[in-house]
Amino acid sequence: MYKKKFEACLKRVQKPARYIGNEFNSIHKEMTSDMMSFAFCFPDVYEVGMSHLGIKILYHMMNEWEDTVCERVFAPWDDMEQEMKKEGIPLLSLESYTPVREFDMVGFTLQYEMSYSNIVNMLKLAGIPLRTRERKIGDPFVCCGGPCAYHAEPLSDLVDFFILGEGEDIMREIMQAYKEWRGSGRTREEYLETIAKIEGIYVPSFYDVEYNDDNTIKSFEPNRDCAPKKVKKRIILNFDDTYIPEKLIVPFMEVVHDRIMLELFRGCIRGCRFCQAGYIYRPVRERSVKRLVGAARNAIDATGYEEMTLSSLSTSDYTCLFELIDELLKITVDKRINLSLPSLRVDNFSMELMEKVQKVKKSGLTFAPEAGTQRLRDVINKNVREEELIRTTSIAFEGGYNRVKLYFMMGLPTETDDDVLGIGDLADKVIDAFYQVPPEKRKGRSVTVTVSTSLFVPKPFTPFQWEPQNRISELERKASMLSKSITNRKIIYNWHSSQVSFLEAVFAKGDRRLGEVLISAVEFGCKFDGWTDFFDYEKWMKAFEINGIDPEFYAYRRIGYDEILPWDYADIGVNKSFFIAEHKRAYEEKTTPSCREKCAGCGAAQFGGGVCFE
Amino acid sequence: MSKRRLKFSKLNMAKFISHLDLMRCFQRAIMRSGLPVEYSQGFNPHQRMTFALPLPVGVTGEGEFADISFEDGKVTDEEIKERLNKNLPPDIQVLSVGDLIFKAADIVCAEYTMKLYSDKKIDTEKIKEFFGKDEVIVMKRNKKKVEKPINIMEYIRAWEVIDETERTLTLRLVLDAGGERNLKPEIVAAKICEGDENMCADDADICRTKIFCRSGDVLELFR
Repeated sequence: MYKKKFEACLKRVQKPARYIGNEFNSIHKEMTSDMMSFAFCFPDVYEVGMSHLGIKILYHMMNEWEDTVCERVFAPWDDMEQEMKKEGIPLLSLESYTPVREFDMVGFTLQYEMSYSNIVNMLKLAGIPLRTRERKIGDPFVCCGGPCAYHAEPLSDLVDFFILGEGEDIMREIMQAYKEWRGSGRTREEYLETIAKIEGIYVPSFYDVEYNDDNTIKSFEPNRDCAPKKVKKRIILNFDDTYIPEKLIVPFMEVVHDRIMLELFRGCIRGCRFCQAGYIYRPVRERSVKRLVGAARNAIDATGYEEMTLSSLSTSDYTCLFELIDELLKITVDKRINLSLPSLRVDNFSMELMEKVQKVKKSGLTFAPEAGTQRLRDVINKNVREEELIRTTSIAFEGGYNRVKLYFMMGLPTETDDDVLGIGDLADKVIDAFYQVPPEKRKGRSVTVTVSTSLFVPKPFTPFQWEPQNRISELERKASMLSKSITNRKIIYNWHSSQVSFLEAVFAKGDRRLGEVLISAVEFGCKFDGWTDFFDYEKWMKAFEINGIDPEFYAYRRIGYDEILPWDYADIGVNKSFFIAEHKRAYEEKTTPSCREKCAGCGAAQFGGGVCFE
Repeated sequence: MSKRRLKFSKLNMAKFISHLDLMRCFQRAIMRSGLPVEYSQGFNPHQRMTFALPLPVGVTGEGEFADISFEDGKVTDEEIKERLNKNLPPDIQVLSVGDLIFKAADIVCAEYTMKLYSDKKIDTEKIKEFFGKDEVIVMKRNKKKVEKPINIMEYIRAWEVIDETERTLTLRLVLDAGGERNLKPEIVAAKICEGDENMCADDADICRTKIFCRSGDVLELFR
């Protein structure tokens, strides 16, 4: 119905290929009335959304079901949004150009907090009533999953239900319940009451929140029997049996991660104290080499991709990494496929591994020591020692590399000026390591070390969840101090605006009172906050002001252990007592060994599998 | 090594795929098909592939051309067509495979069909009048990126109305095309619709149907 007008819009926008669909391996199923329809929405542009592994898994998995059709929806870029508004076209799905509001279910994936404004904006463009209480029979159910779904209270008034944990199993249960509910004459509330009993489902409207005079939470209680006091996340124990999409969609245009992503395992054994992903995906569960190689071979044949990457939180912790790489190289080298290994930890990066990867292509090296001094690295439990970093970079320089990127965070708990200045010292030592390598072995006459710092954002479900964030002025002081201390011109120092990081902290730790702020911000035009061209701090501040909410309350306050946290309803399987113990150990500058060295008793063993029982 | 010329179509929404993306689409289709293509020598080997006359984004093509090098004697033309079509998206399909007869450098013009839409009854006379004009000036960027006025009427070789309904008009156009002189059909559409509040050039369906080249003193269908 909108196709002709939609096509005319495409002639007036940048990158029309974002909106056309029909890519190789995309799935087009007829949407008959007996089918259930699911609009899988990614709250960012096509090239970002198509780089996300989760959407690929669930899209292909759900489309294998006979009774379900799953179509993709991305946020239109501003030029397209304006064109569509002018023509009166609502938000459409990519496959069949069906209005999103006509789907049975509209699901968003929450990858990071700064995409929340896009969710509100997409609901508006779709013409779906924003607040759950405004939706009626005939409107779709709006649900959210993904890593932020464990603490997305700011979206509580807008989302009918959240899915906590891994979607592979639970999606079927949700759709099955929908099938039974549909046409039964029962209310929307009754459907939600049914699924609230499914483990992993959080229906925010079934919980009442009361506040104290100081704005902290007084009580957070379910208001009916079907809603559990705590919602436990869903995980899949036998990871080898999970669905691996092989006939991946091959986009026409270049997307951010335009390659096959092979997911080796979920979770991370490390327990870096700032890292939320390191806790919410516990316990670590691996796939076997055999399963991975089979999936890799099929994906290569089905896509024609020229690049494959091993994708996991700390890839080099995969127990059979060398065996896997050997097997994969047997397939990739002949087919001229580049195998790339991201997120390597410095402590077990080795010459051997590097040489293997180099068989195909030599890429730049990136390390994330996160903090400038050993003291602070111990505080955050980033078990990387300076000598290991120097040893690894030396090996890399001998292997012909001459560019290194180092990533750090600023504003970490207990950080002093000495820790900040330590970042520059560490970069100097990497430069020295280059000149220690005999000249005949090095490539190029010179070396470049790029240092990047970002502002630490304390996140829920980490030992630092009670910590205040550094104020923007404090970060600016530290960054300029570091910048002045770096005199070596071989070091390039980058740091970026911390206003986004401040808002990220507010929405990461915020409660449901922020929902109206979000709606106001979108009214003022906020969207694509992760993009510097769009981010407008003043509009956000105005949105807080008119709703009478002080954002600093959420970001800059040290929270007491006894306070009720807005995300306490979610049970990720790691105990609060463990986070408290880890928080205290951080202040004692004591590290905690990885899951494979020694169990720290976090609580994830309750799931009965994974690394806890290796 | 044997170089083959592929004639293919690029229809429907595939008209919005840019030239660079189209090349990548062919490269990946070839990878999937397992066809024995030739790779360039050198540090970063890539498939050898050239396109005769890139289509403007937003214009469909019924007979486009790509030259691809295959390893000698390993596959027949029919096999190339069949295996590629299985591995290309539905809107891009190979029509035939054969020898390279003419050089892309000799391309001089192309034929297009252009369907124009109007919100009210279409004013055919006004459109016919347009083609009777001696001079219609537009600013065009030359290869040195300098804007220069050109008279597009000098680039229109032939035109005719091939279909007419109450609110649509379909034209057949032959326009200069190729490296030396080139006029994009959407510029003609824009000029026809200019000043008519019932017509929008962006609504026009434009399709390139044929490509012609110079062969001695005569025009030949490019193949």
